[in-house]
Amino acid sequence: MIILFVVLPLVVAGILPLLGKVSRRVVPDLLANATLLFLFVYAAVAGRPLIAGGPVLQQLSWLGEAVNIRLALDGFSLFMLLAVSLVGLAVCLFSVDYMERYGAKANYYALLLIMIAGMNGLILATDLFAVYLFLEVAAVASYALVAFGLGHDELEAAFKYLMLSVVASAFILASIAVVFGMTGSLDFAAVASALKELNAGAVVGVASAFFLVGFGLKAALIPFHAWLPDAHPSAPAPISAVLSGLLIKVSGVYAMTRIFLNVFGLTPALSMVLMSLGALSMVVAAFLALGQKDMKRMLAYSSISQVGYIVLGIGIGTPLGIAGGLFHLFNHALAKGLLFLTSGSVQQATGTRNLDEMGGLAKRMPVTAATNLVGALSIAGVPPLNGFWSKLIIIIALIQAGHPVFALIAVLASVLTLWYYLLMQRKAFFGKLNEKWAAVKEAPFWMTAATVLLALLCVGIGILFSSTVTTWIQPAADVLADGVHAVIGSWGF
Amino acid sequence: MTDTWYLYLFFSAALVFAGLLGLLARRNLIKLFIAIEVIAKGISLLLLGTGFAKDNVLTAQALVVTFIVVEVSLVATALALIINIYRQTKSLDVRKLAKLKG
Amino acid sequence: MIVQTALLVGLVLFSVLAIVLRDLLKSAISLAVASLLLGIIFFRMNAPYAGVFEISVVAGLITVLFILTIALTGAGDEVRESRLVNWVFPLVFVAFIVIDALVMKGLLGKIPALASGGETGSFGDVLWKGRTFDLVGQIAVILAGVFSVLALFRKRDKHD
Repeated sequence: MIILFVVLPLVVAGILPLLGKVSRRVVPDLLANATLLFLFVYAAVAGRPLIAGGPVLQQLSWLGEAVNIRLALDGFSLFMLLAVSLVGLAVCLFSVDYMERYGAKANYYALLLIMIAGMNGLILATDLFAVYLFLEVAAVASYALVAFGLGHDELEAAFKYLMLSVVASAFILASIAVVFGMTGSLDFAAVASALKELNAGAVVGVASAFFLVGFGLKAALIPFHAWLPDAHPSAPAPISAVLSGLLIKVSGVYAMTRIFLNVFGLTPALSMVLMSLGALSMVVAAFLALGQKDMKRMLAYSSISQVGYIVLGIGIGTPLGIAGGLFHLFNHALAKGLLFLTSGSVQQATGTRNLDEMGGLAKRMPVTAATNLVGALSIAGVPPLNGFWSKLIIIIALIQAGHPVFALIAVLASVLTLWYYLLMQRKAFFGKLNEKWAAVKEAPFWMTAATVLLALLCVGIGILFSSTVTTWIQPAADVLADGVHAVIGSWGF
Repeated sequence: MTDTWYLYLFFSAALVFAGLLGLLARRNLIKLFIAIEVIAKGISLLLLGTGFAKDNVLTAQALVVTFIVVEVSLVATALALIINIYRQTKSLDVRKLAKLKG
Repeated sequence: MIVQTALLVGLVLFSVLAIVLRDLLKSAISLAVASLLLGIIFFRMNAPYAGVFEISVVAGLITVLFILTIALTGAGDEVRESRLVNWVFPLVFVAFIVIDALVMKGLLGKIPALASGGETGSFGDVLWKGRTFDLVGQIAVILAGVFSVLALFRKRDKHD
């Protein structure tokens, strides 16, 4: 029953506000966390045996009659489902204490669950239009979540985000319409085999360009990144964590990768474009992050930079490069989620996000400081944390594939990353304690629990990286490295 | 066959371009969203025109209906945002929305 | 063909009016007229359901929402649009139309397409049997819209 990944969060989201009338806090907290815990356990435990015999294409039946809901689960989608439910769970735990001051908790959880359902639907979809539709489901929920605080900044950021995101969807849908006109079909497998038959290089190029603009806007790659440094910092901290950790990856990177690698097929030109965009994002965003005073804004620029790494890795197109890109996607989801959550703890304790006003907070908030340090070092790529291994794999893959210049850029960007994260550590957590914060206390239980969970995972995956790669990343990378054949061959065609 | 497709593609491209120009040129928040609506019209014409030209009207029609449903919930969200912005700033000028920078 | 082309020209004309007109109420109404024309175009393309949706939902409901917003926010008179843009907009638009007319035909000639096997069955069959997953998505997107509006109009009791 793969469809549970979509339907369960939706159903819970539908009934939450009704139950929220009965009990304002406990029931929504419990129900939302239980839902995400269930999805996580389901993905982690039941998923791998399910796809042991190859990808499954599930056709649903309703009251004994076959209904045409086709969902496909292969290594790549299972991997993404795991990432979504894991970060979703941590965020949901964090929200128990953090969202207390915003009010309307049931409504908040409902929107969060709808966003998760939208992402899961996108991951399981087997046709182009469903990709657009679920992208929009997650996006509509995210507009409201960015504006959830209803302050001036939140509203401004949400409006800008909405405008650019709608334009992105328009580009994506225009491209889908052209492909539909050309092949007369929307199904991934049917489109892939039809395109192979047609041999329509030029038009596929135009469609790819449209997709690139659309998904590039969603993933906030550098020329299309304007909305992200506004939207992600303005959202409540757990939502920043979901947006940066998951949404840009699912609706940008996942959708783009699935379509480019499994449906269109990765041409050398496209590979070059992806790698250049990735390298550009990596470097430019790292420089922009250096100059930031606002903690969350710095993290937001860092997200753009790290998405650059992911796109660079996947863009290489070799099995090792894809594996590295996907591994970095997972590690960045964990670590950036962790960093945004700790920034939320700091903001709640001190009421500010300005790095210059902080200082010495490690003495007052030891757990938050320690977990933040783990996340920062992981993203910066310090061994033995998980981020180190994924960056190493990407760089090795770049050298193997004969792109030493890109490899050099990746190393340099990594140094820059370490630099601005150390800057953040020094300004916020170390140094002399600013006497303003003498009365600051450690964050409440559930907030620290969520950050500790993610920090332990960062360390654990770093130590056990080889087994993580073989059990989770490799099956996902295999699907993508198989290219167009994966979809045509195994999805019932 | 191609002529029909040409006709609809031509007009939907014109609509999408008019909307994009409007997005760049206008400063009133509601006007900006009207421009978005014009883009949406272009896209739905593109979808149905493609289906019509390629003998796939039924599928295209299903897509357009879904697209309209998405549009409604998008419009509701966006207009709620605009009303909230107006309550905060007492203005619909997009230039007043420039606090976030850097 | 001629009627259809005339309808399409009207659609573009009213859409451009909706963007160019100074008065918000007038531009909302032009947008509604454009939707109405689009609905009629859909009818003439053998897509009655899309036509009905376009007319009732987009020309009806969305226009009502727009007018409601305009009423709640005042006319937005204080927003001064730049004068330069009023001149540039039609020029650029006409230029684009010319390019569109010249390029699009050649571009389309290059698109190879599979011969499509015409569909059979009714709209209901296609929607229910062919694209059932979209219905789940529709429900999800409606829920998202409802909760978004609820969240944005909630009473701010404790927020700082």
